[in-house]
Amino acid sequence: MDPVAGIGLRAPHLAEIARERPATGFLEIHAENHLAGSPALQAVERLRADYALSIHAVGLSLGSVDGLDEAHLARVAALVRRLEPALVSDHLSWSSFGGRYFNDLLPLPYTEEALGVVVRNVQRLQERLGRQVSIENPSCYLGYAQSALSEPEFLAEVVSRSGCGLLLDVNNIAVTAHNLRLDARDWLGLPGEAITQYHLAGHAVNDADGETILIDDHGSRVSDGVWTLFADVVQRFGRRPTLIEWDTDVPQLAMLLDEAARADRLIAAEDRNAARAA
Amino acid sequence: MPLALRDLQAAFAAHLLGADRADLTAEVFGDTIPASARLRVYRHHVFESLGAALAATFPTVQALVGADFFRGLARAFVGQSPPDQPVLAEYGAGFPAFIAGHDAARELPYLADVGRLDWALNLAFHAPAGGRLAATDLAALSADRLPSLRLALAPGTALISSPYPLDRIWAASQPDAPAGTVDLDGGAHLLVLRRPDDAAFVALSAGEVAFVTGLADGLSLEEAACRADSGFNLSVAFARLLGLGALAASQ
Repeated sequence: MDPVAGIGLRAPHLAEIARERPATGFLEIHAENHLAGSPALQAVERLRADYALSIHAVGLSLGSVDGLDEAHLARVAALVRRLEPALVSDHLSWSSFGGRYFNDLLPLPYTEEALGVVVRNVQRLQERLGRQVSIENPSCYLGYAQSALSEPEFLAEVVSRSGCGLLLDVNNIAVTAHNLRLDARDWLGLPGEAITQYHLAGHAVNDADGETILIDDHGSRVSDGVWTLFADVVQRFGRRPTLIEWDTDVPQLAMLLDEAARADRLIAAEDRNAARAA
Repeated sequence: MPLALRDLQAAFAAHLLGADRADLTAEVFGDTIPASARLRVYRHHVFESLGAALAATFPTVQALVGADFFRGLARAFVGQSPPDQPVLAEYGAGFPAFIAGHDAARELPYLADVGRLDWALNLAFHAPAGGRLAATDLAALSADRLPSLRLALAPGTALISSPYPLDRIWAASQPDAPAGTVDLDGGAHLLVLRRPDDAAFVALSAGEVAFVTGLADGLSLEEAACRADSGFNLSVAFARLLGLGALAASQ
């Protein structure tokens, strides 16, 4: 089976990937790390011929009540035109307000008002890029009393009103469900046909006033609990391109590829189970 | 009455930069983890991640003051001047000036200039690779036309001058540098450049500085050479800049 799981293309691995050309499902880059131009962008362009690319944005701030930053959007659009990735994505969150950018994926209240803002911004993004984008469920450390919808209900509404795809981050489900005392199985009710990609990552277990809080730091191997939840997700929705995210304390490339191979084995096993059941 | 989204994001933004916003805390579900502790996770991440971005852009400043001190310096700067756009490689233009006005500058008077060097190296690293004048571009040109040529500096090329020996300070701050003290006597004139795979700098003589400054001001090669001292050799200096890829291809 060809690999379905891909890896993030990170600076420490660039030379090794360019030299060794390891087999992997696809390579992912963060849009905002490649807008300024650099030798790294030239290296990505050279890899473009041999690998499918996924462009993951972290700074479009799709939940901003201010609307999208058109100057930033134009730069992302130029990068997308240049690299022609298989997938473009960003998060269900906001990062900017009043001309300031906070470099964090900040939580939205799940209300009709926020739905209007997100749908308008996603529509503008899709119109500017001339293609569908996928929206990722965020890691949350808080919830708002005013939220009228659950996160999966809100995401399903964004999909139905904007026609966007869903990027399902399984680690983020685990982190949010733990931190907000929710049931991770709630996310299995999402519209599966909209899901275009899965994300897997490690998280940190921190202490907040004597309670554990899970922090989505992309700094370790995928946890056992997240692998179990990933099996449920693949069983429910089927296989999708799957990204291993590892952004802090980036390991040797071999370990990253090893995590991707584990995801591939799990997906293959679920495929066999599904075939047997059919 | 719950906060409207605009007011909620305004309150959250103020919280992130250090304000105490009871109206925001009231919006957040608290349980055994109080709302204030949940909000702190976000504030912490904003300062830590932007501090890490500054550390990546100003590695020499960080090496000189140490990671702990740098974190405090970055924290103060982020609180005062958060980014206005999402490309972190372009964040920190004001950091060297901020350092100059900070208490740290009193003990390390060269620190702000080191910051300017780090920033120039960062700009050069992200500058376009192409558009550089090569010797072959001049082959078609008759020799008598060369002196009247006006040439701009290539993208990313920048002159950093300081009363401190920034090149020696920089070298001593590298991870593999041997331990020792740096003689702080004497200034430095450095030309920062984008190279094919990275950014770097070279030291210039006083004559080369006058020449490069003249070119940047739009003078011809001959006019710029007149700004230099009597020992200046135009053809040697021109060949050096050409070899370094410091000059822009003429339009």
